[in-house]
Amino acid sequence: MKNLKKFLALSLAVVLTAGVTACGSSSDNGSQKSGKEVYRTLDEIKEDGTINIGVFSDKNPFGYVDENGDYQGYDVYFAERLAKDMGVKVNYVSTEAANRIEYLQTGKVDVILANFTVTEERAEEVDFADPYMNVSLGVVSKEDNEITTLDDWNKDDSVIVISGTTAETYLTKNYPDIPLQKFDSYATAKEAFENGTSVAWANDNTEVLAFALQNADKGYVVGIPELGSSDSIAPAVTKGNDTLRDWINEEIKTLGEEQFFHADYEATLADTYGLDYEDSLVVEGGKKSE
Amino acid sequence: MNWDFIAEYLPMYERAAILTVKLGVIGIVFAILVGLICAMIQYHKIPVARQIVAVYIELSRNTPLLVQLFFIYYGLPKLGANLSPEVCGIIGLAFLGGSYMAESFRSGLETIAPIQRESALSLGMTNRQAMQYIILPQAVSMSVPAFVANVIFLLKETSVFSAISLMDLMFTAKDLIGLYYKTIESLFLLVVFYLIILLPVSILGSLLERRMRHAGFGS
Repeated sequence: MKNLKKFLALSLAVVLTAGVTACGSSSDNGSQKSGKEVYRTLDEIKEDGTINIGVFSDKNPFGYVDENGDYQGYDVYFAERLAKDMGVKVNYVSTEAANRIEYLQTGKVDVILANFTVTEERAEEVDFADPYMNVSLGVVSKEDNEITTLDDWNKDDSVIVISGTTAETYLTKNYPDIPLQKFDSYATAKEAFENGTSVAWANDNTEVLAFALQNADKGYVVGIPELGSSDSIAPAVTKGNDTLRDWINEEIKTLGEEQFFHADYEATLADTYGLDYEDSLVVEGGKKSE
Repeated sequence: MNWDFIAEYLPMYERAAILTVKLGVIGIVFAILVGLICAMIQYHKIPVARQIVAVYIELSRNTPLLVQLFFIYYGLPKLGANLSPEVCGIIGLAFLGGSYMAESFRSGLETIAPIQRESALSLGMTNRQAMQYIILPQAVSMSVPAFVANVIFLLKETSVFSAISLMDLMFTAKDLIGLYYKTIESLFLLVVFYLIILLPVSILGSLLERRMRHAGFGS
């Protein structure tokens, strides 16, 4: 018994010492690059040879994993090019809507390319680069119970939203009386909507449009194609990571000359949307045409 | 730490805590019922039923609650059973908890030496009387520690309810982080509320354990 106690005390001591030294050494690393920044600068990423990019894994056709286990989609197409021009390899990190900001703030990824809508609130937490896509909100519903307005809402019906999206923020702020059914991933929200959990699903209009088109045979229709203001989608980096953001801005500008995002659209989105939406969705060279 | 934020969203956490406790308690009550029935079937070695219980226990103990909930909430509607998230949560908890409870009751029953039952029978007691007055009281007291551990475990498991869109504590915290990016405050409230729920359970549990220890025979 006494031996056991001694053993336990000893192992505790060892663990604690190890813990303290580990913490100590990591903060040493931090202090070498002025202060305690969690992000990696452009040079540090290049030196490391791998860039960590946060993308969606379940948001077809923007960021998803195909049947071979490879990341695909509009955002991923851009991410591939970004890494190629930077001369590094990509490590994709799968994110959910609600933890995109967290991932940047804790330095788990260098860039978020997960269909991230620019908003004022978010801009206080992370730094956005120039936009590469247009977006606004949309609401999809069943053909036989089409929702065309959110006014005079029947309180027994709920709307599906994904936690951490602009749709959630918008409805919470502007329609506080509509009951929201919240999910934490695209996959589960989609599944629940198909199961008939709610009468409508509010999300980025690109996403609900894609859903309605992909499931046209099941009778879904986008009753509200544009809700609220028109926003843009842009890459985001950790607050203060100017070297990386400036590089991305420069890259987006250069890519504009070769109409890169049009090619991206045709490669990844045209199958879903056709070519009708190309000019309204794509933003080239970081500049929105008003 | 932004205390105004904490004050503003405290009521939201309270609602979430009530939901967590409500679903947790109902789920655990059902888990106890399922557990008792299964333990009795195994103890009395009832044919066929015993094999079914064995399959159930292995299935339930060796799959994560998250998977069980996904099956109940997203899978069953495909077979025509559309249940509300609350009902799914309770079923999930009872399904998972039932097997853990069954195991703890069974191990309690097995610690009672067969000689006690035989003695009771030879004194002229019926099978039921022996169970009711001799075996069960001791078995229950022997299984209290495992039982309390199970209750705490199941209450903590409710945190995966967020996956089926139940606004429990975990989901509330994640949601607030997503909406307002107040990570520290949201997580702080989350920890505090889980402690408020679980500390009393754990303290009551150890009190109960200490009292029940006297009930054992020959130990």
